[in-house]
Amino acid sequence: MKLKKVMALMLTLVMVLSLAACSGGDNSNEGGTDSGASTDTTDTSSESTDSESSDTSGSSDVALTVAIWDTNQEPGLTQIINDFTEKTGIKAQIQVTPWEQYWTMLEAGATGGSLPDVFWMHSNEIARYSEYEMLLDLTERIKSSDVLDMSKFPQEIIEIYNWEGTTQYAVPKDIDTIGLWYNKTMFDEAGVAYPDDSWTWEDFRAAAEQLTKDDGSQYGLALRPSNNQAGWYNLVYGKNGYIISDDKKSSGFDLPETIEAIDFFASMSKDGLMPPYEVLAENEEHALFEAGKVAMIMQGSWMLAELCNNEYVIENADIAVLPKDAETGRRPSIYNGLGWAASGNTEYPEEAWALIEYMGSEEAQQKQSDLGIVISAYEGTMDNWTGAYPTFNLQAYLDMMDDLVIRPYSKTTVRWENMANDKMIMAWTGDKTAEEVCLEIATEMNALLAEE
Amino acid sequence: MFILPTMIGLFVLNIIPIFQTIYQSFFKAGAFGKGNVFVGLDNYRRMFADASVWQALINTFKYAVVEVPFSIAIALVLAVLLNRHMRGRSLYRTIYFLPMVAAPAAVAMVWRWLYNSEFGLLNHLLNTLGFDSVNWISNPNTTFIWIAVVGIWSVIGYNMVLFLAGLQEIPQDYYEAAMIDGASAVKQFFHITIPLISPMMFFVSVTRIIAAMQVFDVIYMMMDRNNPAFFKTQSLVYLFYRYSFVESDRGYGSAIVMLLLLVIMVITVIQIRMQKKWVNYN
Repeated sequence: MKLKKVMALMLTLVMVLSLAACSGGDNSNEGGTDSGASTDTTDTSSESTDSESSDTSGSSDVALTVAIWDTNQEPGLTQIINDFTEKTGIKAQIQVTPWEQYWTMLEAGATGGSLPDVFWMHSNEIARYSEYEMLLDLTERIKSSDVLDMSKFPQEIIEIYNWEGTTQYAVPKDIDTIGLWYNKTMFDEAGVAYPDDSWTWEDFRAAAEQLTKDDGSQYGLALRPSNNQAGWYNLVYGKNGYIISDDKKSSGFDLPETIEAIDFFASMSKDGLMPPYEVLAENEEHALFEAGKVAMIMQGSWMLAELCNNEYVIENADIAVLPKDAETGRRPSIYNGLGWAASGNTEYPEEAWALIEYMGSEEAQQKQSDLGIVISAYEGTMDNWTGAYPTFNLQAYLDMMDDLVIRPYSKTTVRWENMANDKMIMAWTGDKTAEEVCLEIATEMNALLAEE
Repeated sequence: MFILPTMIGLFVLNIIPIFQTIYQSFFKAGAFGKGNVFVGLDNYRRMFADASVWQALINTFKYAVVEVPFSIAIALVLAVLLNRHMRGRSLYRTIYFLPMVAAPAAVAMVWRWLYNSEFGLLNHLLNTLGFDSVNWISNPNTTFIWIAVVGIWSVIGYNMVLFLAGLQEIPQDYYEAAMIDGASAVKQFFHITIPLISPMMFFVSVTRIIAAMQVFDVIYMMMDRNNPAFFKTQSLVYLFYRYSFVESDRGYGSAIVMLLLLVIMVITVIQIRMQKKWVNYN
């Protein structure tokens, strides 16, 4: 009996411990990667304080932490970073945190003073980091650099990371455009001609109708309401509507052009040209496309590594440019570009800057293109990119560059974007009309913008 | 002296943060712990007008109402069954306990795929048996049940072990006496086991309700914001997470979590008051 009691107690103990370990596990994994790494760096720093003072020559002990969110880009970027280590002797270690947790991790790091040394920045989030001076000021360094030529990058991407026209906090990394993926086999079966640059959105809808089967085994299109940049934003701007005004003070959701554009996709969902909303909600578009469930999806160039390495997609699919609007004749592509930024309180500002400088150099940008990681932001380095996946018509993505519109953003992009996406669901399910939804969004978004 | 480490831990990790959260809830938060602006009761006013907060509270209750009774009832029956002398007893105990050892995030991930309406195993089985597919996690009216099922599944082992410990405390003499008097197994269960294990049941129900009110990981991992059932399933803790960490609106997030604290406190006080009515201390 005694033994049993002891056993029961032990079991309870183990269970409580494992419970604590489990519930703590998430945090320590997410935050831990970065806090663990930073203790590493502090360790090395205490050992190498003298070598550090003797300029970068003795910095071989330094290991920079580099935080990114895209596993697809990790192998390619590791290669580029290896080149960098060979050249400078500065080591760097990439850590991937998925997008959903990346910003939580970064914010916790910023609040606790343990940001990764170098990391990716995005237009959604840059404002807060700039306002509270969390990032390394790169302005002077860029000016005096002989490797980095900022004039070679798209001005609008530079501007994203420029705080109020004075301080540059990040160097552009890449540029992205949107393409239309289609399933050739399904098009052949349905006897529909492949999409090309003559397509208007009406042709697009007509094709989707022909490609949808009544038995629910195949649909023309998959587009989730949360897919704004690669999805409905493009048509909004194609119709000369907008999401946010140029001065970032008012919402464009109440414009008739915007409503019309959103209604176009919402009605395709309501009319059954997309899978039932439940299916759409539980599965990402590319997963449905890869499963041969839908004939067309709109995806950004950042999805290439995912889609181009999928066997089913290689066998059956190709890429075309987006359709154009019949009235305006516009075929805009909402684009964005990530930036390389460094922590404002990193222990190795010079090494971190050296890495950012290298990442922005023509050489590294060229390599980024050659490896097919993403489209480089550096002028003239993009052409090789199309060769990265020869079986696909990657040229479509480059053709989309003729009419580029920067991804709408303001200081609190995340708040109004999430709010808009949440409400947009009602338009997709048909519970509310696109107009009702858009007007609601406009009211709330204007209130949020007024608070900024 | 012996309680000092515990006291320090409790103070630093629990008590201080509680007051910080209360303090925080009166501010409109800036970023990175800087630039807080005092707004008085604004966050609370906003919360009382916010339909999604009340919906989240209802969702949390619904989840708890399904999870707690079932996880306790099933675990109790299992514990009684596994307390007998039988072959493979420890194997069964281990099997029931295993979900507790797995990381909650991993558990939720696997269930998410089992539940998937298009490619999920459950619907595949239903289809082969000739039934229609079910939208397990995207039907606003029923999703909370299926999420609670995952909660029940993963917590049964924990409750069961606690009950087993409680059962070991019951002297065999009672059962022997009952058998001599000709009481059936069911009668023994209701008249001996339940009253004598009631202190443990009380402990389990108090801690389970608190834990169920704080449900987060299952919902975070299984539900997507695109999900039409999302509004009807997001819990208060999820809402707190979303405001505090995703949209960096710390002050409002703190106000939400204060509401949760209050609700849990009220429920727990009621439970402690009610224990005289049904808990049997010798």
